[in-house]
Amino acid sequence: MAQDWRIVTLFIGSILVLGAIIGGPLVYAIMLSFYSAKSFVGELQWVGLANYAKAIQDPLFWQSFANGLMIALSAIFLQVVLGVGIALVLNRRFFGQSVVRAVSILPYFLPTVVACLIAQWILDPNYGLLKSLLASFGIGIADWSSQAFTARGTIVLVSVWLWTPFVVTCVLAGLQTIPTQLYEAARVDGAGPWRQFWHITLPGLRSVLVVVILLRGIWMFNKFDLIWLLTKGGPLNQTETLPTLAYRKSFLEFNLGGGAAVATISFLILAGVMLIYLRLFPIDDTKQER
Amino acid sequence: MARISLQHVSKSFGGEQGPWAVKDFCLEIEDGELIVFVGPSGCGKSTTLRMIAGLDEATSGAIVIGGRNVTGLPPKDRNVAMVFQNYALYPQKTVYDNMAFGLHVRGEDKQEIDRRVRAAAASLDLEALLDRKPRQLSGGQMQRVALGRALVRDPDVFLLDEPLSNLDAKLRVKMREEIATLHARLRATMIFVTHDQVEAMTLGDRIVIMRDGVIQQAGKPLELYDTPANTFVAGFIGSPEMNLIDGQLIDEGGRMAVRSGDLTISIPERTFTTNEGTVTLGIRPEHLVIADGSPFEMTVSLVEQIGAQTYLMGMIAGHRMRAVFDRRDGIRSGDKVPIAFPKERLHLFASASGATLRMSEADVKEYS
Ligand SMILES: Nc1ncnc2c1ncn2[C@@H]1O[C@H](COP(=O)(O)OP(=O)(O)O)[C@@H](O)[C@H]1O
Ligand SMILES: [Mg+2]
Repeated sequence: MAQDWRIVTLFIGSILVLGAIIGGPLVYAIMLSFYSAKSFVGELQWVGLANYAKAIQDPLFWQSFANGLMIALSAIFLQVVLGVGIALVLNRRFFGQSVVRAVSILPYFLPTVVACLIAQWILDPNYGLLKSLLASFGIGIADWSSQAFTARGTIVLVSVWLWTPFVVTCVLAGLQTIPTQLYEAARVDGAGPWRQFWHITLPGLRSVLVVVILLRGIWMFNKFDLIWLLTKGGPLNQTETLPTLAYRKSFLEFNLGGGAAVATISFLILAGVMLIYLRLFPIDDTKQER
Repeated sequence: MARISLQHVSKSFGGEQGPWAVKDFCLEIEDGELIVFVGPSGCGKSTTLRMIAGLDEATSGAIVIGGRNVTGLPPKDRNVAMVFQNYALYPQKTVYDNMAFGLHVRGEDKQEIDRRVRAAAASLDLEALLDRKPRQLSGGQMQRVALGRALVRDPDVFLLDEPLSNLDAKLRVKMREEIATLHARLRATMIFVTHDQVEAMTLGDRIVIMRDGVIQQAGKPLELYDTPANTFVAGFIGSPEMNLIDGQLIDEGGRMAVRSGDLTISIPERTFTTNEGTVTLGIRPEHLVIADGSPFEMTVSLVEQIGAQTYLMGMIAGHRMRAVFDRRDGIRSGDKVPIAFPKERLHLFASASGATLRMSEADVKEYS
């Protein structure tokens, strides 16, 4: 028991450090949202809930919320469907399986900046790869970034390309935990491939999918870098989301309080949605039954 | 209900060249018979069962169920039901849905499914558990659900792969009795796989003993006990194991005997072929008798009292042997006990091949 005090010290120390790193900025941001401030060094002026009132009366705020939701949901949907599909294929035995499995994770290692540059290089309306490819067939393309649908679509596609490998890896791991005898029992019971997927594979992946959707949901809803690098919220705020709006207010419009209010509301919405989600789909499904 | 015919069935997981998990397996199983496949782990029991189920494809040979050649057919077209060693219950389904699944998949109507599931649940004492999930069940209950899942299907053949191995000893005996009762009631064709010779002896109408993918002997339990075809079967069936003594066959003035060191035991006439020189003599521990005046003495090294019987271990003329008697009090380790080898209880095998030297009844007649 001579080590007790050391453990306690380490424990308290790490709590303090973590608190300072994570809690500090959080508290500071929330605090800022009650003030009017033009810069981090300037004078702070208490304004109460005025920043919040302004934020939720702004149509752009709600449009950004809707944009973010739409982009996040379609990206997660595609990532999960594709991720499960690819994992099922990679889980079958075939020649070169381990090589293909290793290669398939590669996009996940790509820095977002690089991925966005590659996407722009392919899609650029003037000198892009796609343009010259299509031009050789005599087809012209419009500027993807000038229309809402193509701009959002591009963001979704790049995110699918970057983060589907994460889903594939998680699902592949999940597939290993499903006993093969279940499939054999189902085959003897007369179930074909579709029924085996529906009655064994999908229920067996339940916990993995609950966690994957949770994580991807949080990441996608908070996505800033990808959107900023690709569209900066354009055209005409059609790809503006709450994170880009908060950034725009804080650093381009020098309205730190307003930006902080948007960020705080965004944080509260996300926390609320996640709590409801975990209530509906507990990670450990034994809790659901009792 | 159906007959099963296994014709030269072989299986290799490494292509035509082998090694063979199952080799040239031939067996006719009668309608309503309970056949037990028994043998040490890795001898090919499961593989044979899985080929009958259609889960593994036979490398060569044919499988006929109820007059229908099913060799290339998938499991669903064979009308077999299988019970797995670790139950393989669908973890997210209730007991009811686990049993109903096979019927549901086959498009039975809801009322018929309900009737059959409830009937099976009643016969297996599962009625109170129908709404539970597998993880809320004990091992014995899970095993009964697995049986119920097979039962509702009303299959031609029941295939059971070591269904009792994961249960504790007491429950194992109880479930063994339940399966025997079930078989007596259904009169369905069943194949039961086990590595436990007691399970095999008590359950089987007939037993198939396997080793390294090859059938060693197939027959009624007592046939295997009385006339084992080789030293492997002799050692596998019966507990404690048969005493085996390597020796030479000698002619003692017209009477045949086996000599091994200081031990010379005469063997019965017109029972064994005697043109083999090096032989293995066998006698079961329970067939040794205590006989005053016998030329053989066991120097006892261990006495085990198990209640109804007394187990002895000791040396007879330099050979370590076991003996089992009805309860005898008062024997201590270090005692010398006079032991006789009743002639009609002896077994004789060729040492090289291990095969029995016992003549068939036809041979015996021809000889005399
Ligand atoms: N899927 C497989 N791939 C390769 N070898 C296998 C496979 N299944 C079984 N075997 C081999 O076949 C032999 C028989 O196995 P099995 O039928 O499972 O034995 P048992 O059920 O009698 O213990 C063993 O040597 C085992 O290693
Ligand atoms: Mg086995």
